Amino acid sequence: MVDSLFPSIETIGDASSESRRKKRKISETAETEAEIEARRINEESLKRWRTNRVQQIYASKLFEALRRVRQRSTNENVKVAGAAREIRETADRVLAASARGTTRWSRAILASSVRAKLKKHKKAAKLTGNCKSRKAATETKRIRLPAVDKKLKILGRLVPGCRKVTVPNLLDEATDYIAALEMQVRAMEALAELLTVAAPRTTLTGP
Amino acid sequence: MDLTGGLVARSGSGGMCRESTGLESLHLVDEFRQLVTLPSENAGGSFTALLELPATQAVELLHFTDSSSSQAAVNGIGGDIAPPPLHSFGTLTFPSNSALMERAARFSVIATEQQNGNVSGETTTSSVPSNSSANLDRIKTEPAETDSSQRLISDQIPCPSQNNRSGKRKDFEKKVKSSTKKAKSSEENEKLPYVHVRARRGQATDSHSLAERARREKINARMKLLQELVPGCDKIQGTALVLDEIINHVQSLQRQVEMLSMRLAAVNPRIDFNLDTILASENGSLMDGSFNGTAMQLAWPHQAIETEQSFHHRQLQPPPPHQWPFDGLNQPVWGREEDQGHGNEHNNLMAVSENVMVGSANLLHPNQVKTEL
Repeated sequence: MVDSLFPSIETIGDASSESRRKKRKISETAETEAEIEARRINEESLKRWRTNRVQQIYASKLFEALRRVRQRSTNENVKVAGAAREIRETADRVLAASARGTTRWSRAILASSVRAKLKKHKKAAKLTGNCKSRKAATETKRIRLPAVDKKLKILGRLVPGCRKVTVPNLLDEATDYIAALEMQVRAMEALAELLTVAAPRTTLTGP
Repeated sequence: MDLTGGLVARSGSGGMCRESTGLESLHLVDEFRQLVTLPSENAGGSFTALLELPATQAVELLHFTDSSSSQAAVNGIGGDIAPPPLHSFGTLTFPSNSALMERAARFSVIATEQQNGNVSGETTTSSVPSNSSANLDRIKTEPAETDSSQRLISDQIPCPSQNNRSGKRKDFEKKVKSSTKKAKSSEENEKLPYVHVRARRGQATDSHSLAERARREKINARMKLLQELVPGCDKIQGTALVLDEIINHVQSLQRQVEMLSMRLAAVNPRIDFNLDTILASENGSLMDGSFNGTAMQLAWPHQAIETEQSFHHRQLQPPPPHQWPFDGLNQPVWGREEDQGHGNEHNNLMAVSENVMVGSANLLHPNQVKTEL
């Protein structure tokens, strides 16, 4: 499996997937419709972020980020932080692009980057947290605990583009976002390893 | 039809029983017996589950000749949990039954299609005997289920009581219950609160709570999945704490991305030549270099196959400025990896990771890589 390539995070992933499988067996008999639907969504998103996309994202990020950084480095060699920001944003954009626009956060990331380019960062802050208004707020009773509410808001702020999103959608988005982030971390780690290992080699053995 | 005839007769007897209870109770008892035996013959799983030895209970209860016993028979048959307390209801059921039947007749047009969906739900809700009239309705509808063609009268009433999924049905149940309660309150006031409690317990009886329950279930299902996704959330009880963990996990992942991007930014300036050459030299011995083809050729991931060949060209064109000493070392490793990999992607990343590990002069073992990260 592809996951075996990323040993560090893969252990965590295996543990969670095993526990998931165990829970699935235990709770299979007691699954309600909602659980079935949610599980389907979750499995779909998880599988997506663990198989083919991994390779494509990895490859694209590799190409894009390095190209950009090389461009930047020729101009402004000093700022590592600035380059880091560029790399991170490029990585996020590639991640979002690989999501194929099916999730809110991916659309928000792509939209924000486009808007930033066009409006020079002025309107990006305004437009990133827009769109869907909260529906079904009238019938909420039990998950109206203020503590949970606050946390849901925080989570909405963390996931890009999900501030004013309904609770079940927010949880769905968070699920997909977490899976995508895990994959991104794994890919970047492998890439960083590759480069940090390769760089001294090249300097040492170069002509 | 047998059953409809029985129902009609029962309604007639129900109406009559207001005047005289004794004879009517016996008559009703016979009707009940008929209804009980008939459904038990036809019964699907739901009916027997609902009635839990309907025949024996019915026979037992039918030995009593007073109205309370017939009431108990009704309750005992329909309600699994507590037949004894129902004995005291007395004559309440009969007027309420007729009222229910009238209502059922009124609503009969609407709920016929709902009937089918409710069969599965009935078993779940059968454990709560709402009230005697509801039980009676259930008995009525059990035979109704088995023969869908004839189920006009009694289809409505049990359906709402037994399926929590539809708001419409809940409305019917609510109306039915309110009508029965009204009838009951006119007869016996002290029994009414007790019936209320038993009616509501464990069931969402109005559309609001029904919709809220569905929404809660959705949210809880998603929370469960998130719990499984985030490591260490399995043991935690409570939504708030789980959300805390999730938030921490997301924040840590984002921070990791930041760290890695800084590392990449720091690493990059040190590479003075094209990354392509690095990969070209490392992957020189790879049979299928599709991975790097996608990397080099496309900004956004699309066709891996197309770029594969172009990468091969690129790979061959720039002569690697230096032969890495461990190319020979890598050969057997790559060969092994290639055999293991299923698709191009697997081979590529496996090879790359192998390079990472081997290229560091065998210093970085897989364990070290894990612990480092």
